[in-house]
Parts: sequence; structure tokens; C-alpha cells
Amino acid sequence: MSVFLKKLIVNYPYFVAAILFMIGALTVLTRSNLFKKLIGINIMESAIFLLFVAGGNIRGGVAPILSTANQEAVYINPLPSALMLTGIVVSVSVTAFALALILRLYKAYGTINLERIVELRNGVTMDDSIDHS
Amino acid sequence: MTASIIANLPVFVVIAPLFVGFILPTFSRRMRLVEGLVILVEALGLVGAGYLAFIVLAQKGVPILYSLGGWPAPWGIELVAGSLEAFFLLVIAGVSLPVALFAKGNLTQEVGSAERVTRFYVLYLLLGGALVGMALTNDLFNVYVLVEVATLSCCGLVSARNHPRAAEAAFSYLILATLGSALVMGGIGFIYMVTGHLNMGFAARELSRIWQDYPHVVWMAISFILVGFGVKSALFPLHVWLPDAHSTAPSPASAILSGLAVKGYLICLLKFLYGVFGHPLLRELAIDRILTLAGAVAIIAGSILALTQEELKRRLAYSTVAQVGYIILGLGLLNTKGLTGALFYLASHAVIKATLFLAAGAMLAATGRKNLRELAGVGRKMPITMAAFTIASLGLIGLPLFSGFIGKWYLLLGSLEAGRILPVTVIIAGSVLCAAYLLPIIRGAYFETAPENDWRDPGLPQKIALLLLAAAVVILGVIPGPLLELAKRAAAELLAL
Repeated sequence: MSVFLKKLIVNYPYFVAAILFMIGALTVLTRSNLFKKLIGINIMESAIFLLFVAGGNIRGGVAPILSTANQEAVYINPLPSALMLTGIVVSVSVTAFALALILRLYKAYGTINLERIVELRNGVTMDDSIDHS
Repeated sequence: MTASIIANLPVFVVIAPLFVGFILPTFSRRMRLVEGLVILVEALGLVGAGYLAFIVLAQKGVPILYSLGGWPAPWGIELVAGSLEAFFLLVIAGVSLPVALFAKGNLTQEVGSAERVTRFYVLYLLLGGALVGMALTNDLFNVYVLVEVATLSCCGLVSARNHPRAAEAAFSYLILATLGSALVMGGIGFIYMVTGHLNMGFAARELSRIWQDYPHVVWMAISFILVGFGVKSALFPLHVWLPDAHSTAPSPASAILSGLAVKGYLICLLKFLYGVFGHPLLRELAIDRILTLAGAVAIIAGSILALTQEELKRRLAYSTVAQVGYIILGLGLLNTKGLTGALFYLASHAVIKATLFLAAGAMLAATGRKNLRELAGVGRKMPITMAAFTIASLGLIGLPLFSGFIGKWYLLLGSLEAGRILPVTVIIAGSVLCAAYLLPIIRGAYFETAPENDWRDPGLPQKIALLLLAAAVVILGVIPGPLLELAKRAAAELLAL
């Protein structure tokens, strides 16, 4: 037990990432509010970002900027952080696109609840083209 | 000039569609120029893919390596064009050129104003570039970025129709696909943590050496990647987004989504499973059994779901779920014949499903009816469209002399070689079910009388596109030639790693 607890304490960022990931996945899969789904996706992606950045971290390491003053410095791995910058950019564009879609759905149905939209949709057929733009 | 183009060909085939895609909106007032540019880019892509395939075949399996920006492999991003990549590039170019031809002058009806059509083409080219990139890149994180580009353009294509149902389908697709990308990114993270490499070749070498030391992390990595790409390639039961997305999209988009986008993710999954984890590890962890079982379940469940659909495009969309099962099943057989079958089936399904969706789109546009029962007698009024539909259906069922047969034949040989009975029965049962959901459509179209109406075949570019694709189905079935050769070599190389 104590070994497990020690592992848990030493590796706490990974466990936080796992918990965040589960919170996000649960939100995405169980909520019918479109905004909550989107926020769930964002939480999930943050969990992955945390996983990556924690993987590149070294305890007691310094930012990877070469300095002549401290020759013995241990640098953290900058690559995962750099990758996650790309990841964040991707996540932002997904969020923007999803928000645009939510806006279109709200204009069409007047609600952002997915269950309600499914109810309303059964009255709308595919053939009539409703122009809302 | 030509020498430098040929030396940089692996980059050009990725960048050309992306570049043209981004300058396209500046011409949005001149529709014919836009359409001409798109067709030109796709034609150039076909030439480039053909040339790459020619070089790869001539070099007897030595892949073309290209370091982006001149940074060598462990540090920089590397592009690889081997047999597998050349094979998939040929499939992409071969399908997206006729689809672009079909879209010519035909999109305003489904999408709307000229500006919206131009945006559709932008997304179309972005998707094409991203798919080519996904096939070529040898860098784990680069795969993630390109997968994300492809996903966003797919969602954009689904929502291209100005209808609330399209937005709804696009939203649920976007949410599930992003869930899949997050899982894929997590899997890449685990691989990077264990191996310290982002280059697939280096990661694979490191992983084969040390995976016994980190069994849990490797398990996590495999399951994240499997579920992530499973969601994206609509592996049953993760397919829930596909029928809505593929049936509400405009017809050329449905063709490209069902034909190519799903296949792009499958190729990525293949590269991860065989190129990074390697087949000894797959066998050790019994991943091959999981893949075969998942594929078998997908074939049966997808076919039965397709049988119950009343709408033409929805039936075709569920059929895609079933056909993805064949490819996944082939990936799990772990022998050269099975893998060859999976690859060739992938190519043949790409062509066939594009034909079916385009023909369905043409019928939908001419008749305005989407239900199967209302389409009776359409075969006599629209002979060319229905002929293409019939040829593609026979190919999908897997009759000899059509392309689907060769794929299924190799899959059967592979499962016999692996000594498993389940895949053999499922492949045959899947063919029977496929006939059960496609043949009634053809029977109704030819042997029932249509009401008085003015249903007509689509215009000339559409006819040419349909005939080209239908001809490809037959040609691949009669003389599979270089494509089968590339598939065989790719399978042998993947298993030799």
C-alpha cells in the first residue's frame, strides 16, 4: 500500500491528468447541453496537454535556456511543451468551429439542448432548405 | 527546374492542394476558374502519385526519404514514400479526381451560392492535402496535426449544406472525432514518454527493445491509439456519428468522406500498429485477435443495420461501417496475404463507395426522392447512373471480375493461412448480406415501372466521372496489376519490420 501511495505522490501530475480526462469524457458523453459537451472536450484536451508537459518535466530542472553562469544546470525537456503549443492551437480552432455550429443550431432550433433538438428535428425534413445565414 | 520538382515531389504532393486551397477564395467570383484549378490540382496529384509509385516500384522496395527543412531524421520531420504510401497516394488521387469532376457545375444545387461552393472546394483540397500528408509523414506528432486538419475539413464538408440537420450531424461528428483525436494524442504521448522519439522508425526500434519494461504504458498507448482511430474510422460500435454525417453531406463530400477520409485514418492505424508497435508485439498482446473479432462484429452488425435502412444514402453509409470491418479484420490476420487483402480491399472500397455515393447523389438530384421505395424504375430513366451503381454494387458484393473480389479473395486466403474459421465464415456471410441490401435496389430500379416524370441522367462531367469510377472498379478486378503489386510489397514490408 505504501509503495502505491508513494508512486501516487511522486507521479501526481499523471493522476491529475487521468482524473481530468475522465471528468472531460464523462461530460462529453453524458451531458446533452451542447456547450457542456464542448467544455468537456476542452477539459479532456487539457488533460492530454498536462500529460505531455508532465512527461517532459524534470524535478529541479530549469527552463532550457543555455547559460554560461550555471554549467551544471539540468534542463527540462522543452519538446513536449512546444508540441502542446500546437495542440492548444488545434484545440482553439476546434472550439471556434464548434461554437459556430452551436450558433447555427441555436438560430435554427432556438435551443442548445441536444435532446430537445432531436425532438424538434423529427418535424423538419431534409428537403426544405431553410436559409438562416 | 524539373529535377528540383522531382527531388521534392513528396513535399509538393502535400503542399500543392493546401496552397491552392488557400488561394482559392480570391477567385470566388469566377466559378469556372475555381473548378478548373481544383481539377488541375487533382490531376497533377494523380501524375505525382503515379510517378512516385513508378519510382518505388522501380527501386524494388527502397523507400524515398525526405527530411523537411534539411533536418535529419531523429530531430526533423521525415516524409517517407514507400510501397504503402505510394499505394495510398494512388488511391487518393484516383478517387478525388473523378469526384472533383462530378462536383463541377453541380454543387450550387446542394450547397448554395458561389461563395459557399468556393468554401466547399477549399475544404475539399485541405482534406486531400491532409490525407496525403497523413500517408507520407513518418513523424508521430505530425500525424496528429494532419489528422486534426483532416477532421476539421471533414466536419466543414458535412456542414456545407445550409440546413440545421447538417449542422447537427457536423456537431456530433466534431465532438466524437475530437474525442478520438484526444485519445490519439494521448497514445502518442505515451509512446514518446517510453521511447523518447517522435520519428516512427526510431520509436519502433526503441519500443521493440524496451517494451517489456513498461507493459502498462504500452498497453495504454495501444488502447488509446486503437480506440482513437477506431472512432475516426467508424469501427463498430464507435460508428454512431457516421450515418448522419455521411448521409447529410453533399454527395461529392459523402463520396470523399466514405471513400477516402475513413481510409486515411485506417492507413494511420495501420502505420501505428505495424510501423511503430510492430507485429511481434501485436501477437504477444493478442491485439490481432481483438482486431479480427472487432472486424467480424462490424461486418455483421453493419450489414444488418444497412438492411434496415429505408433511405438510400443512409443504407450506403451503414454499408461503409460493414466494409471498414473487412479492413480491420484483415489487419488482425498478421500474414502477408491477409494484409494484402486488407489493403486492396481498402482501395477497391474507396473506388466503389465513391461511385455508389455519386450515383446516389445524381439520383437524388434528378428525382428529389431519397427513399428507396420511391426510386423504383429509375434505371430506365437514368441508364448511365444506374449502370455505374450496378457495377459498383456487384463489386462491393465481391463477384469475380470486379475489384471487391480480389480483396475478399486475399482476405479469405489470409484467414485460411492463419487457420481461423471465424473470419472465413464472416467474410462469406458479409458478402451474402451485402447482396441482400444492394440487389433489391437494382431490381427495383430496372424491373419496376416508374411513374410519368422527367428524370434524366446528369450532365456530361458527371457522366464522365461516374463512368471513370465504374471503369476503375472493373479494371481493378480484371487487371489489378501495379496496384496489387504495391499492396503485396507494402504488406511484405510491414511484416518484415
